[in-house]
Amino acid sequence: MAAERSEILQGTLDLMVLKTLAAMGSLHGYGIARRIEQLSQSALEINQGTIYASLVRLGQRGWIASEWGTSDNNRKAKFYSITKAGRKQLHTETAEWERISGIVGRVLRVSERG
Amino acid sequence: MWAALKAAYARMRGAIVGRAGSGEAADTDFDQELASHLTMLTDENERRGMSPEEARRAARLQLGGEAQLRETNRDLRGLPFFETFAQDVRYALRMLRKNPGFTAVAVLTLALGIGANTAIFSVVYAVLLKPLPYPRPSELYNVSQYPASESGTKIGGWSYLNLEDLRRDSNIFTAVAGSNSHQLTLTGRGEPAMMNTSVVTGEFFQVFGEQPLLGRVFTPDDAKVGGAPVVVLSENLWRGIFHADPSIIGQSIQLDKKEFTVVGVMPSRFRFPLLTESEQLWVPLPQDPLFGGWIDRRGGHWLGVNARMKPGVSMAQAQAEMDALAARMAKDFPENRDWLISVAPLQNVMTGDVRIALFALLGAVGLVLLIACANIANLLLTRATSRAREMAVRVALGAGRARIVRQLLSETAVLGLLGGVAGVALAYWGVVALSAMLPESVPRVNAIRVDHFVLGFALVLSLVASIGFGLAPALFAASGDLQNNLREGTGRSGESGGRRKMRSVLAAAEIALAMVLLVTAGLLLRSFSKMMASDPGFQPQNVVKADVSLPRFEYATPEKWNEFGSQLITQVQSEPGMQNSALAVPMPVTDGFVNLGFEIVGAPPLAPGALQTGDYVAVSPDYFRVMEIPLLAGRTFNAHDAMDSARVTLISKTLAQRYFPNEDPIGKQLSFSFPPDPGTPREIVGIVGDVRDVALDKNPGPMMYVPFAQAPLPGAGVVVRSSMSTSNVTAALQRSVAKIDKDLPVNDVKKMPDELEESVAQPRFRTMLIGLFAAMALVLAATGIFGVISYSVSCRTHDIGIRMALGASRQSVLRMILRETLLLAVAGLVVGIPCALAASHLIAHLLFNVSANDPLTIAAVGIALATVALLAGYIPARRAMAVDPMLALRHE
Repeated sequence: MAAERSEILQGTLDLMVLKTLAAMGSLHGYGIARRIEQLSQSALEINQGTIYASLVRLGQRGWIASEWGTSDNNRKAKFYSITKAGRKQLHTETAEWERISGIVGRVLRVSERG
Repeated sequence: MWAALKAAYARMRGAIVGRAGSGEAADTDFDQELASHLTMLTDENERRGMSPEEARRAARLQLGGEAQLRETNRDLRGLPFFETFAQDVRYALRMLRKNPGFTAVAVLTLALGIGANTAIFSVVYAVLLKPLPYPRPSELYNVSQYPASESGTKIGGWSYLNLEDLRRDSNIFTAVAGSNSHQLTLTGRGEPAMMNTSVVTGEFFQVFGEQPLLGRVFTPDDAKVGGAPVVVLSENLWRGIFHADPSIIGQSIQLDKKEFTVVGVMPSRFRFPLLTESEQLWVPLPQDPLFGGWIDRRGGHWLGVNARMKPGVSMAQAQAEMDALAARMAKDFPENRDWLISVAPLQNVMTGDVRIALFALLGAVGLVLLIACANIANLLLTRATSRAREMAVRVALGAGRARIVRQLLSETAVLGLLGGVAGVALAYWGVVALSAMLPESVPRVNAIRVDHFVLGFALVLSLVASIGFGLAPALFAASGDLQNNLREGTGRSGESGGRRKMRSVLAAAEIALAMVLLVTAGLLLRSFSKMMASDPGFQPQNVVKADVSLPRFEYATPEKWNEFGSQLITQVQSEPGMQNSALAVPMPVTDGFVNLGFEIVGAPPLAPGALQTGDYVAVSPDYFRVMEIPLLAGRTFNAHDAMDSARVTLISKTLAQRYFPNEDPIGKQLSFSFPPDPGTPREIVGIVGDVRDVALDKNPGPMMYVPFAQAPLPGAGVVVRSSMSTSNVTAALQRSVAKIDKDLPVNDVKKMPDELEESVAQPRFRTMLIGLFAAMALVLAATGIFGVISYSVSCRTHDIGIRMALGASRQSVLRMILRETLLLAVAGLVVGIPCALAASHLIAHLLFNVSANDPLTIAAVGIALATVALLAGYIPARRAMAVDPMLALRHE
């Protein structure tokens, strides 16, 4: 069950989905999954289906909106876009993420040197 | 925070709407989304050169398991925990409906247990736990000055002068007040009537922090010596006799023929003492006709003192301060030598002796509930066995162990709540019955009701109980051997050894618990029958008592009291059928007792701290004849023992034996340190039999009697032994009193046997209730044994059939089943006896002339329990005997 995954992993995926939507505008689930795969250069091995849990969670918090539409190659698909609240959240989360990865990086550097 | 709320709302909505049907729409939506995703993935794969077949397969792998995704999606949308819970509850209700017999038995058993617990808890809560009905009640403390010899009970009292020292010298209290109660005669407003009067010092209303309904409370000026006489009325008194007259403030009323100005009316919610009737009045101590005359004596101990503690003062700090004060007071005034001071929360002091009895009752009903739970656990175990196959199928279909335990616990929770609801209904009825039965001497009886606090208790109790009886069966059910259970079909003979052992342990535990209750009940019953059979020391049959008090302003001198007393007895005896009458103050059993110190003239002085006391009663000469108290030596009083003759006294057998062990007390002299005639030697002229003057269940102590004519009091109790009806006796008494003074009321006319009964009302009440609970325990334990044995028989029908086919006689089958029953009972008794002994020592306080280890009671209860168990086992054993071997063998 996805809910039992570690919080960080869940949070990271949610953050990546938000980031993707912020950068790309309106996008369907397949597009989001592809985009994340490209960005991480396939370093992040996930089933594409996993992002749907993220999408439900983000939708419930009101950070993304969705509607049915038609894709480039004329396929019916559900399109997601980031909301205003979502952008705000992305901003705070990114800052938090950078702060934490900064700390982690520093700790790693220090321990390498010592 | 906002986003989290929003998400929670969305999920809740999902959970509720999801059930209503639009959940299917959401599922379809998600299916379409997945389908579209798959199509796009497949397109992409085809573009990369895969065959359509391959492309579709790869796409499925890339996306992940669809069923799992769908499940996750559904869980995320709603509240899976609550949804499965709701599903479990629906399922549980269906199961219970399908097994009406089981449901009825289980719910009824639980309802009895929970109902009894809730009812008793409502009493315990109202009487012991509920905060006192005053503002900030936790600040209220009782302060007792008690003799060092009373270190157990800490019962004592204060003199006005000592109280003033306490008030002035201690700075841990914001207010300190003394009070005592008696009755004053109200005249000039219709019929003369006795008023319950609290005599209080200046800060009384500040201690209790209650505002008046009308007018004002007392000021320090009112409570000064020489202040104008003022009075505060209770609301009910004001609404009753004074017809809610709003102009009552400033009016004058006559109490004991003295004018008092009404300054205030207290609202009806304010009561102190809590036990008095709602109609009462308060007067400042110095203005009181009786106690006002005592304020300059330091040596008395007659005021109860309550105080409001400053916030933040700890008990230890307060007690340390009081210890220092006691030491200082003992140094400054010799009267205070060997007197100590204790502080205790007012609530604990008020409920004093009722506490043990009520907690014992609560313990007893708790045991009943435990037995009920064991019974239901047994029923559930039986059912779990027959449901083993169902569980095996569930496990085979993928249900986790936790999931099965949860489902079974949901079932028992539903059962528990059903039992709880039925139990609360029973409790409502039980509380009405209990309130009617509770003795009047239990404080705050009027506050007993099933309120939200008690309902909360019942709810928690039913949930805890359902986990209690449900957990073990649920765990057993979930741990069954899957393969075996699937194979075994009906599961009739497929009971695991563990489960059978569990069931036997439960049945034996029921016997053990029932043993505890039955022994307790047996001991209390024996105590009570001994109480009732104990000799009060006088013959109560056909004796009626009444009370006549004199207004102390009109009858101000001992000469007048004496004159009234002799007139009264002459008038009463001149009425037809009333020749057998006499006076006594205080009246034994009804009035309580006055325990006073005495010295033996010519004996060496007492060691410091040693007390030599007896209960003091002033009586007219005929008293011993009327009450039929035997004269053991010497003579009783006669008409010559008057004010102007030598002072005499009579002593009781116990006093004679205790203080004159090796000599003849007659002709010796006692002297009393209290009025009248303190220090004057009184010759002992006779010895009379002992009397249980306090209550039937209190053994008699030393007593000393003086002639009323030599120690008159303002008013007296009258005892009449007459074959006439009580109403005729009352009428005759009223005629006699009216001939002397038409303003005097005759009060508290009671039959002596009723008064004796009343004195054991509390033991009667608890004995009856614990007896009732013990009976419930016995029935429950018997059904428990019956259930276990009959189930064991039905499981072994086949086995028994084979035995009989091989030549076993019916008798040997019967013996086998009964042996099994007896084994359970003996196991229960072996565990039960030490538990019962432990319990009986806890209630040793409540026993009367019966040892907590009373072997007779324990043996009787043991035999009774074993017999009941055998009877309960006999019914299924008969069925086993009747097994037809052919039928049983063909059965498989």
